[in-house]
Amino acid sequence: MSVLDTKPPAGIADAKAAAASLASSQHRRPSLGLMIGQPLSVVVVLAAWAIWRSQAELDSIEQRQLDWGLLGRLTVEHLKLTVVATVIVLAVAVPLGIALTRPRLRRAAPIVVAVANAGQAAPVIGLIVLLAIWLGFGFWTAILALCLYAILPVLRNTIVGLQGVDRTLVEAGRGMGMSNRSVLGRIELPLAVPVIMAGIRTALVLVVGTATLATFIDAGGLGSLITTGIRLLRYPVLISGAILVAALALLIDWAGRVLEEITRPRGLG
Amino acid sequence: MPESTTETTGVDIELIDVVKRYPGQKRAAVESLSLHIPAGEIVMFVGPSGCGKTTSLKMINRLIEPTSGTIRIGGEEVGRQHDDDLRRRIGYVIQGGSLFPHMTVTQNIALVPGLLGWDRRRTAERVDELLELVGLDPARYRNRYPRELSGGQQQRVGVARGLAADPPVILMDEPFGAVDPITRQRLQDELLSIQEELRKTIVCVTHDFDEAVKLGDRILILTEGAKIAQYDVPEAILANPADRFVADFVGAGAALKQLTLSRVSEIELGRRTVGEIGAKAADVLRAAQAADDDCIVVLDAKRRPVNWLWTRDLLDLDRIPAPRDDTDLVTIDRRATLNDALDLMLVSSHGSAVVTGRRDEYLGVVDFQAVLTRIQETHDEHNPTPEVVA
Amino acid sequence: MWDYITERHAQLLYQSYQHLSLVIQCVLLATVLAVALAVFVHRNPRVVALAGGVSAIGLTIPSFALLGLLIPIAGIGTATSVIAVTFYATLPILRNAVVGLAGVDNSLIESARGMGMGAIRTLLRIELPLAWPVILAGVRVSAQMSMGIAAIAAYVLGPGLGSFIFTGLTQIGGANALNSALVGTLGVVLLALVLDALLLLAGRLTTSRGIRA
Repeated sequence: MSVLDTKPPAGIADAKAAAASLASSQHRRPSLGLMIGQPLSVVVVLAAWAIWRSQAELDSIEQRQLDWGLLGRLTVEHLKLTVVATVIVLAVAVPLGIALTRPRLRRAAPIVVAVANAGQAAPVIGLIVLLAIWLGFGFWTAILALCLYAILPVLRNTIVGLQGVDRTLVEAGRGMGMSNRSVLGRIELPLAVPVIMAGIRTALVLVVGTATLATFIDAGGLGSLITTGIRLLRYPVLISGAILVAALALLIDWAGRVLEEITRPRGLG
Repeated sequence: MPESTTETTGVDIELIDVVKRYPGQKRAAVESLSLHIPAGEIVMFVGPSGCGKTTSLKMINRLIEPTSGTIRIGGEEVGRQHDDDLRRRIGYVIQGGSLFPHMTVTQNIALVPGLLGWDRRRTAERVDELLELVGLDPARYRNRYPRELSGGQQQRVGVARGLAADPPVILMDEPFGAVDPITRQRLQDELLSIQEELRKTIVCVTHDFDEAVKLGDRILILTEGAKIAQYDVPEAILANPADRFVADFVGAGAALKQLTLSRVSEIELGRRTVGEIGAKAADVLRAAQAADDDCIVVLDAKRRPVNWLWTRDLLDLDRIPAPRDDTDLVTIDRRATLNDALDLMLVSSHGSAVVTGRRDEYLGVVDFQAVLTRIQETHDEHNPTPEVVA
Repeated sequence: MWDYITERHAQLLYQSYQHLSLVIQCVLLATVLAVALAVFVHRNPRVVALAGGVSAIGLTIPSFALLGLLIPIAGIGTATSVIAVTFYATLPILRNAVVGLAGVDNSLIESARGMGMGAIRTLLRIELPLAWPVILAGVRVSAQMSMGIAAIAAYVLGPGLGSFIFTGLTQIGGANALNSALVGTLGVVLLALVLDALLLLAGRLTTSRGIRA
C-alpha cells in the first residue's frame, strides 16, 4: 500500500483516507516493535495510570467522574460504538466493493467512490452535529456518522484489492472450469485479502478516534471524560480521559494489525 | 595517439602504495596499488567484479578516502586539498550520464562552472560549445530535460557535464554501460575524437574488455585486491598476456580481438561526389556523372554528412534539399574499429558507410569489400606463415 | 440560510480567515519541522523504523485526546490548537519526506558529490528538489487533515469555523442551529478545496518540469 503514501491524493477525501492509512498501512510486515512494543508500552502506561488512580487524592467531582464502574461503562460504550460501526461498514462496503468490480457494475465504481468521498470531505465534527440536528441525539445517529466517515477506506481498498488481482490467475481459474462465484471466492477474494484488511484497519482507527466525539451528541464513550474535564476544569479527569482514549485507540490499532497478520493468506508476502 | 594534433591539456596521475581497507573486512579492497598514469592518455581499468577497480577510481577524487598511501594529480597531493575543491577540478562521468532529472541540459552542464563562480555569459558560451563538441545541436537540446533525451543523448550530456569546467583529469565509471551496443559504439567513437582534440587524462573503469582495447592507450588489468595483473598498451596485452589470469580475461577470441585494434582510418577511403544542401542540383549531377557515381552524399553547412541521394533523383531537383528525418544514411567515425564497421554495415541496407572525422566532418566512404580486404591484411600480418592444408 | 450568511458575513469572513490562517501557518511550520526531522532520520538509518513507528502511533491517537492532554500545558485557546494541528500536520509530511529522500537515486547523489558539491548543497539542490513532489503530496494530506482538526479545536476555543459548528450544537432546537452548523461545515469544506487548489498550484510552480508527473 505504499502507493497511497507517495502518490498525490486525487481529492480531498482521498487525502484524508490516505492520512488515515498512513497510520495503518505498512508495506512490509510490521516490525517487532509495533507488534509487541506498542501494546506493551500501552499496558505499562495504563498500569501506571491505574496505580495513580487508586492512590490519588481526588475531590468529590473527580471521584464521581473517575469511578471504576463509570470508567468501565464508558469504555464498553466506546468499544460498542467502534465495533458496531465497523461491522456495519464491513457489511456494506465489502459486498458493495465486490459488486462494483463485477462486469455489470464496473462502470459505476468511480461514481460510488466519489459519493463515498463526499462523506469524508466534510469535517467529521460538522457531520456529527448536522446528523444530530436532522435525526436527534443518540447512539444510532453517532453510528451513522461513524459509518459515513469510515466507509471510504474499506470500499476503496476492496475495489483496489480485487482489481489488483492478476487477470491471468482469474482466467486460469475460468479455464479450469470454475464458476464466476468460485473464482471470486477461491481466487480473487483470498488474493485481495491483505489490501482489504488494510482498509479495514484504517476504518477501525478512524472509527475509534472519531467515536471520542460521540459524547457531543450524548452517544456515550470515553470522550465524555474529556468534555467533562474541560467543562469543569478538572485536569485529573481530562487527562485520564485523554490517556484512556489514546490507549484504547492504540490497542484497537494493534488488534487490527494482528488481524491483518492472521488473515494474510499463507504464501503471500 | 600517434596522429595527435593538439597539445596535451591533461596532467599525470600518480598512485603510490594506495591501500583501502574497510572496517570489519578481512581482506583489503585495495592492497597497495602503485601506478603512474601519463598525462593526456586514456587508461582503462578492467578486471572481474569486486576486484577494486571502481574503488581505486573513486580514491582519485576522494569519493572514497584511501586508508593509506599517496595520490598525486599533476604533482599535487589530493589528500592535502579540500575535497569539494578537488572534485570541482576533476571531471566525473558515471553510467547513464546520471543527469539530474529536475534540471535542464544547460543547468546540468553549468553546475560545476556555477560552483566555480563563472559568470553567466562565459557559462552559457561554454555550454553551447560543449553541446557542439558532443554532437548535440545547442538550440535544440539546451533547454530539454533529461527525460526528453534518449539514453545515448543523456550519456553525451553526461560527458559534456564532466568536461564543463575544462578539467585536466576526467574519471569515468562504466560510462557507456547503460546503452545499446550500437549507441555505445557511437559514443566510444565520439569520446575518441573528443580526446583527440582535448588530450585530457582520462581514467575509465569498464568490465568490457573490448571497450578497454578500443578506447585505452593503456589497459590496467586488476585481480582481487586491486593487484596489478598487467599494465600495458593494448597491443602488448593481446600479444603477450602476462599470465593465465590475463589470458583467460582477454578471452579466447584474442586473435579476433586484434580487429578491435584496427581502425577505419587505416582503410583507404572511397571517394564519392558530395553536394551541400542548397547547392545547384545540376552542378552536383554533372560532377557525379563525371565521377561515375550513382549516388551522392549530401552535406550540411558544416560539412557533416546527412543523407544519400540517387543521381537519378537529382534530375527532378533544382537545389539539394535538406533531408527528411528518416534517412538511411549510416555514418561511422574514422576511429571506429573494423569490428564496429562490420556491425554497422551488416545492419544497414547500403553495404557501405560514410566515414566522418573531427566534429563529424565528411571524410569519404567505406564499403564491405574494403573492410574485408583490410581484415585479410591484418590476419596475414599476425599470421605471417599461413599453413596450407594439402 | 442566505439571510443567515448575509447577516453574519463579517464574522463568517473573519472566522474563515482565522481558520485558513491557522491551518496554513501550522502546515508551514509542520513542513519545516518534518523536513528537518526527515533529513536527520535519513542521515541516521537506525532511526528510520522509529520515525515510521512514531508517525503511525501519532496518527492513531485521536485528536480530541491530544487536545485534552495539551490543555493542562498550553491552556484553553489558540496555543493548544496550534500545537495539536502542527503535531498532526507534521506526521504525514515526515513520513513522505523520509520516503521521498530515500527514493532519490544514490548515483545522483554520488554524481553531485563527485562534481564537488558539498553535503548541504547536495541536499538543497539535488535531494530536496527531487523529493519535493512526494513531500508535497504529504503536505496536501496534512492540510486536509488539519482543516478537520482545527474545526474540532474550536471546542477548546481555538480560532476558526469550528465555532459555528459548536454554536449549532449548543443551540440545537433553536432557529439558527442548522444554519450555523451547516455554514461551519460547508465553510470548512470550501476552505479545504481552496487550500488544496492553492497547494496544487504551488506544486506546479515549485516542481521542475523535468520531474513533473
